[in-house]
Amino acid sequence: MFRDTLGLALKNALRNRRRTLLTVASISISLFLLGVLLSVYHAFYHQEGPPEQALRLVTRNRVSLTFSLPEYYEQRIRKVPGVRELVPSSWFGGVYIDNRPENFFPRFATDPERIFEIYKEFTVPPEQLEAFQSERTAAAVGKSLAERLNFKLGQRVTIKGDIYPVDLELTIRAIFAADVENQDFAMYFHRKYLEEALPQSRRGMVGTFGILADSAEAVPRIARQVDDLFRNSERQTKTETERAFQLSFVSMLGNVKVFLLSICGALVFTILLVAANTMGMSVRERITEIGVLKTLGFTSGRVLTMIVAEAVLISLAGGLVGCGLAWGASGVLRQSQLMLSGLSFSPPVFLISLSIALAIGILSSLVPALGATRLPITSALRHSG
Amino acid sequence: MVNDLVVEATDLHKEFQRDAFQVIALQDVHLTVQKGEFVAFMGPSGSGKSSLLYIIAAIDRPTRGRVKVLGRDLLQLKERAMADWRNENIGFIFQTFNLIPVLTARENVELPLLLTHLSRQERAEHAATALGLVGLSDRMDHYPRQLSGGQEQRVAIARAIVSDPSIILADEPTGDLDAQSAQEILTILSRLNRDHGKTILMVTHDPHAARHASKIRYLEKGQLLPEGAPQPE
Repeated sequence: MFRDTLGLALKNALRNRRRTLLTVASISISLFLLGVLLSVYHAFYHQEGPPEQALRLVTRNRVSLTFSLPEYYEQRIRKVPGVRELVPSSWFGGVYIDNRPENFFPRFATDPERIFEIYKEFTVPPEQLEAFQSERTAAAVGKSLAERLNFKLGQRVTIKGDIYPVDLELTIRAIFAADVENQDFAMYFHRKYLEEALPQSRRGMVGTFGILADSAEAVPRIARQVDDLFRNSERQTKTETERAFQLSFVSMLGNVKVFLLSICGALVFTILLVAANTMGMSVRERITEIGVLKTLGFTSGRVLTMIVAEAVLISLAGGLVGCGLAWGASGVLRQSQLMLSGLSFSPPVFLISLSIALAIGILSSLVPALGATRLPITSALRHSG
Repeated sequence: MVNDLVVEATDLHKEFQRDAFQVIALQDVHLTVQKGEFVAFMGPSGSGKSSLLYIIAAIDRPTRGRVKVLGRDLLQLKERAMADWRNENIGFIFQTFNLIPVLTARENVELPLLLTHLSRQERAEHAATALGLVGLSDRMDHYPRQLSGGQEQRVAIARAIVSDPSIILADEPTGDLDAQSAQEILTILSRLNRDHGKTILMVTHDPHAARHASKIRYLEKGQLLPEGAPQPE
């Protein structure tokens, strides 16, 4: 019986092919946008980082990330119980070749001996690591960055300074890889090299300290204790989990969460209106047929199921196409945008998008279907369309 | 004789609201139809012919009165039971054929059987038999738009008889057809009545069509005129 109902629903859905196609197209475009937005939302707020991330904290200047911290803080932070490892990092900024977005990538001056101790999800061949650590002007680049800009081992790279008034001549000695795609889109080089190149007045400062805790339970306490250490210092610190630190970049854009959810809500509402309008028209045209079906013995419930099934079929078709487009777009965005490097059209987003399509199918058809099936048969048979 | 009573309507009254007006469609209608009868209902537009047919078909309820069809008091049935009862006992033929345009002739005929427990194969066989009875074995996979008006009405008759109902109700079945097609339809109805023992109640404006019936009853202003009464002016 289910198969028969579905068969009838399918035939009815294809009754006006152009209208159905346009409805599927409008739903798929909306679901595509919704899928991408949900993926962005998911990437920003719900994506799990590597397991090591749960053990990592970032200490920065309490006022702003643009203010630095004295490097001697490192010695005091290291003494906080539970701190297993610590690495200073400075965002170098700078320009590689020119200012075009395709030549932009994150560049950090850091400690080559410790950076890969803290970021254990990065794997680097031992001989390359040794080469990176032993040469003052060496740089290590992530695999995805190397692929994108065609970096090779031994290649010399010049980074013109903008935040720092120095140009750096670097040689790529290591290519590291992350187990999550695009997480390795960065370059690391020796902080000492930068320090030597800087004028005396600019030396001895660090952008952030990356901290590796010895247990996840110790993380909140370490954050508290580190900040307490410098509470009365001229440069106070703000220590937070690496995840919170990353989210603070998102929050710099404004209330992204509300913004994304508002657009998602508006999109869902718009699709609902489009689908409801189509189903309303479709049902109105068929009121006499509904009367005929009921005359033949079809119950109101059966007819209702048939109409709702038809709307669900159309919505799901649009949803599936939209999800396919969103999946493709997520891949493109992931490749092109740094802030969206964690973007993926994940199974939860797929399920949410498809559930929304299903709900739209049901909700859009319920009102016209209920109205039509509740109509007395005699009125339905006299309906002139 | 009492057991052969197919329709027994007593004191039927039907009123409905149309815009601001209260319309009396039927008043004090008493009707009995014997098994195997072919009754034609005639009368001017608005005389209540279709309303009477709808009540007998259990697709409408009278405002008051009693109606028993095949021994079943229709007013006692709830909506779902009424739907089942219609499916099992009534074959309905409309003036405008009312075939589902996205279904082939065979699929249209199969529609009432979707509500039964018949298998797909059995349904197809029944539909083929019904279409064969109306002479459309070669048009089973045609869509309504590919059929002439007469052929469409024959498909509608096949749909009405496919579940082997005891009663066939036809609401002006020849109203939208040319003379030749109308004659074909009337011949089929007569054959169903004569050869297959179906009780047929037909509403018509056409005296020629009515002549195929074994009995003609006239309605005027919602009242069923006595049997044998002459056609009103």
